[in-house]
Amino acid sequence: MSLGITMDPAEADVPPVVDRPPEAGAWPHRHLLDVDALSWSDIQLVLRTTDAMREVLARPIAKVPALRGTNVTILFYEASTRTRVSFEVAARNLSADVVNVAVAASSVTKGESLVDTVKTVEALGARILVMRHASSGAPYLAARHFSGHVLNGGDGWHAHPTQALLDLYTMRAKLAGAIAGAAGADQDGRFLSGRKVVILGDVLHSRVARSNIWTLTAAGADLWLCGPATLLRGFEAWARAGAGGAANGRFTVTSDPAAALRDADVVMALRIQQERMASGLLPSLREYAARFGLTADRLRLASPDAFVLHPGPMNEGVEIAPDVAAGPRSVITDQVTNGVAVRMALLYLLAGSTASDTVGG
Amino acid sequence: MADRGPAAVAPVRSSGVAIGATVADLEISNAWLVDPFSEREGPGELVVSNGVLEAVNWLDGDEAAGIHDRGVIVAPGFIDLHAHLREPGNEDAETVASGLAAAAHGGFTTVCAMPNTSPPADEPGVLSRLRAAAAASGSPVALLPYGTVSVGRAGEALAPIGELADAGAVGFSDDGSPVRSGSILRNALMYAGMAGLAIVDHPEDLEQTVGAEATEGLVATVLGLRGWPRSAEAAAVARDLAILADVIADSPGARLHLTHLSTAAALDLVRAAKGRGLPVTCDVTPHHLALTDEWLAGARRWAWEAIDESGRARDPWADGVLIGAPYDPSTRVNPPLRSAYDAAACLAALVDGTADAVATDHAPHTVVDKAVEFGVAATGISGIETALGLLLAAVDAGRLSLGRAIGALTAGPASILGPRLGRPAGLTEGAPADLVVFDRADGWLVSAAGLASRGKNSPLIGHALSGRVLLTLAGGKLAYEDPGLAD
Repeated sequence: MSLGITMDPAEADVPPVVDRPPEAGAWPHRHLLDVDALSWSDIQLVLRTTDAMREVLARPIAKVPALRGTNVTILFYEASTRTRVSFEVAARNLSADVVNVAVAASSVTKGESLVDTVKTVEALGARILVMRHASSGAPYLAARHFSGHVLNGGDGWHAHPTQALLDLYTMRAKLAGAIAGAAGADQDGRFLSGRKVVILGDVLHSRVARSNIWTLTAAGADLWLCGPATLLRGFEAWARAGAGGAANGRFTVTSDPAAALRDADVVMALRIQQERMASGLLPSLREYAARFGLTADRLRLASPDAFVLHPGPMNEGVEIAPDVAAGPRSVITDQVTNGVAVRMALLYLLAGSTASDTVGG
Repeated sequence: MADRGPAAVAPVRSSGVAIGATVADLEISNAWLVDPFSEREGPGELVVSNGVLEAVNWLDGDEAAGIHDRGVIVAPGFIDLHAHLREPGNEDAETVASGLAAAAHGGFTTVCAMPNTSPPADEPGVLSRLRAAAAASGSPVALLPYGTVSVGRAGEALAPIGELADAGAVGFSDDGSPVRSGSILRNALMYAGMAGLAIVDHPEDLEQTVGAEATEGLVATVLGLRGWPRSAEAAAVARDLAILADVIADSPGARLHLTHLSTAAALDLVRAAKGRGLPVTCDVTPHHLALTDEWLAGARRWAWEAIDESGRARDPWADGVLIGAPYDPSTRVNPPLRSAYDAAACLAALVDGTADAVATDHAPHTVVDKAVEFGVAATGISGIETALGLLLAAVDAGRLSLGRAIGALTAGPASILGPRLGRPAGLTEGAPADLVVFDRADGWLVSAAGLASRGKNSPLIGHALSGRVLLTLAGGKLAYEDPGLAD
């Protein structure tokens, strides 16, 4: 494989050097299925590599030959425009050969199994499989039957690793100035140490929230999950688990938005879907917006420097007010740009990985 | 082969006996006999002659020296109250022949077959067909079929319960689903009560479990699997017990058996109902007492290792015990594997007698039905061959006595079946030899090839279990012999 760019993973501030092979085995994972398997140093490597990709994106021609000749197949079992396009742009920026496969739900009901599809795209040349699926855990099944690298683009309620990493990258970029100042990162570089981060909305159904729990707590955040009790089921058990009976769990769960937002440094709102009403989890969008919507009034409870994220797509006027989404605190468009850079970084790292780790363990 | 200590088991098949043939001559000496029917266990020896258990000698004094309960054990043949043999209709997952072979490998000599076949056993012809298949298989393992409670298991109209009873149904169940309608359950309890036969219910409030994937709690939350509320089981049990209590005055023969109970709350309800004298019995499965929902995340430790001092489930992520692949469809079962707290309650119910029996809920599936996304994989564990090993794991860990474990596989289910068992039970001189011989000092590695069942859907594949079955004799005939025994 011809790699057009590289970087020294040990040096965060060194710009990428063109036309030198990367440090062998820099990335210790064959697949990226969940962020729970990533160590803090893995996460830091992703962030540094993303810095390099941001630099590529800033060039007049944002394209490098790193993945030339590598087939990246994007296999989406769920309708998605934003994430699919983001992966596609990322892969094309690295000069990969991109194959898009949108699998209609009807093929599934016709009995075409995931394993069969994975074997087929492999036979068609796929080396990296970017996959989205409505069923939690589906990428693990794919990875057991695929000889290349599987990159999870979102599975059910379970995980959305690239989203969590782009959220973390966006927070790091935004906090960079503050980190350079007096407060900030601890000696391991956990730059969210002492920062209050709030995830507000439908946590229960959110793969974004689940993946962010791992990455944000790894980065040292004082993490708060906030939403109606029906959309937080099970998370209190997670917060308490493994805390050894200590008063403070690994994060805080609350249905009181004022408590969650007070002095927050970062607020992430999550999408509320219409289906939640049909299943009796919420009375109405109106009631949700009134009690939990991220409005300018509510945001005043947060720190004056607080900024706002949303993984998209947004229901403006429901979980987030239009003036907040478009306001000066919003970094939502930064998230989109960073999303391409993070996905470039992960495609690049996976392509260079020689790890043979199997699924699990 | 492992050292079997002082016990001696003469090989049977190498002396010319085929599976299904009468065992003409067998002596087992210096073994540890466990007979829950006579509530006796200890050193002993036995002689089988022309299929009849001719002599059972309990040893004491010098003769008993060196014989202990961690070597070769002889017990009455096991009885499984709950197995799916998939015939007719799903013979690619299991047949009567393969299911009975699996049963014999697991030490079982009697198997009660659930009626959720295709077509279901809702008319006498299906029962005749099953009996013919059992005879044709050549296996001496007894097949006792259930009939359905409702026509087509649809929960709307009563199945021909009287005709099914005449055709040999051992009880009635819509298993795979609960008896959906409370009024059908009420009528079925009364109607089957005329014949003294039990209604076996799979207690699940389907309203609470739509789309459910994993028991609600830490593991389901972290894995993003749709929660399966524990209350769905207790709610259904409460309904069933209320109906039973209501009909019992008018129908003293009505009997309710609740199968595969898996939660502390449901078992508490049964414990209280038994205390009030209601004619209810229940079983727990080996997997619900030995395994937990942690296995869905890739943990592979026993339930009793996954609990802290206060009775709460431990955190497998914090403990660093996730060694297997997550989302393994072999761990998908209904009811779902529960938390360590509920698994401990299943074990406690077995110890205190609230659970009358252990039933395997043997549920073989094809690879095609299991090699799919976790949430759409068929539910069930192929478990009849690993039941003994899971119970012995609890015994080895000091959580269960050997006598109680064996009792739950023999005298417990026999008392529920009553005369429908159709044979003398226990290590009884003069009766056809119906027994299992296994070696606690020897184990086996569970493998797909090593399972006689067509269903290879076991989360225990790759796992070592203790208690290798050496011999199974059913009704005086050879049902299973360990291939190593003839060496």
